[in-house]
Amino acid sequence: MRGGFLWRNRVLLTSGALLILSLHLISTGVHPGDLAARPESAFLEIIRPIDAAFTHFSSGASSIVNDYLDLLHVREENAHLRIELARVTSDRARLAELEAENRHLGELLELKDVLGLSTVAANVIGSDATGLSHTLILASGESNGLRPGMAVLSNQGVVGKIIAVSPHASRVLLIDDHNSALDGFDQRSRARGIVAGLVDDGLILKYTDRSQDIRAGDTIVTSGLDGIFPRGLLVGTIKSVHREGPGLFLNVSIAPAVEFRGLEQVLIVTQPPPHIDDQVKG
Amino acid sequence: MRLTLLFGLFALLGLAFETAVPHLISVPSLIPNLIVILAVDLGLRHHGVLPAMLAFAMGYATDALAGSHPGLNAFMVTLVFLVSYEISSRLLVTNAFVGATVVFFGVIATALGAIAIGAGFSALGDTGSIMPSLMLQAAISALVAPLVFSMLAASKRLAGLPARAARE
Repeated sequence: MRGGFLWRNRVLLTSGALLILSLHLISTGVHPGDLAARPESAFLEIIRPIDAAFTHFSSGASSIVNDYLDLLHVREENAHLRIELARVTSDRARLAELEAENRHLGELLELKDVLGLSTVAANVIGSDATGLSHTLILASGESNGLRPGMAVLSNQGVVGKIIAVSPHASRVLLIDDHNSALDGFDQRSRARGIVAGLVDDGLILKYTDRSQDIRAGDTIVTSGLDGIFPRGLLVGTIKSVHREGPGLFLNVSIAPAVEFRGLEQVLIVTQPPPHIDDQVKG
Repeated sequence: MRLTLLFGLFALLGLAFETAVPHLISVPSLIPNLIVILAVDLGLRHHGVLPAMLAFAMGYATDALAGSHPGLNAFMVTLVFLVSYEISSRLLVTNAFVGATVVFFGVIATALGAIAIGAGFSALGDTGSIMPSLMLQAAISALVAPLVFSMLAASKRLAGLPARAARE
């Protein structure tokens, strides 16, 4: 048995079978409720408390480190005063952090009122594990009413959509990811296109006819035609428009309205946007 | 069982680190790819069916926390394991330098492979601007790899597992 072909090549054969299984998963995709989605949901659930604790600890530690650096000159003058001042400044940093959090939540609340749709606020606790894709991990999941496909917003504009949920955590695909796309239009000229992410960061407006009057500085907003994002939400501002070269469409580069890296809280639209008739779409 | 628990624990800590830290720092490419390092260790030092399955499981766990195509990282991490295993089968000695070199190329191959499979081979043409940060991440991963290998070796000794491949 041990000298047989199968035994000698067991690692190669197992790896080959696992590679085929991986390709099968990639090609068919994993849908909510699938058997293959269960481990994914379980991993997300396991990692959530660790990430939440890490984020909590890191934000506290970084504010203390910053305070400590600010106080270096005070240490030279008086050791006792330095310790006292460090404590007070640390408290102040914590208060400032609370104030900032309150401000963010207040801004989200305003956005919630403006939207007039059912929404849920969530804290951001992590980002993509490989860094190649642009995703975020939220500390809210199915138990908070979140489902895959829901739109995620911030007070600055459109953030992305939910792609995976576990009972207490979820993942968001940002609009600047290279696998992301949404329907948008130029607010001034009303020219439509598909806003898509790029591998090397940034956003572009695809499939916009060359005859359209699109200029740098124009605002791009969601059209609501994709059935995910409500109409009229800010996506970004046009950075540049290139009409040179062959092709039917314009090369339009967009600066996203949202600073994705600094996001701490987001708003998830739990109510689907109003249905737009196919005739209106056309 | 001990090998599964050990690599499960390391993978969990690695993934928690890789998801929590990039969100807090301004240069996410400074974070090493710990899952690739673990897969290289498995490929170089553990020759069997279970290590192959562990590599796949670590990749699938990464898929739960990265990207939008489940199976993509499972594929790439299993491939890194397989290449490491093949290298280990052909070299007389698989020391930390060999491991670090495999990690360096493994991180780059994993990233480019994930882009090619996930977004199409044409997307590889747009990777020019991410190459510097990818090379930086690969270099940092290769630098960190010997430390992770020695931590794994110490943990394996504690758990009563062989720290090297049977042939060595």
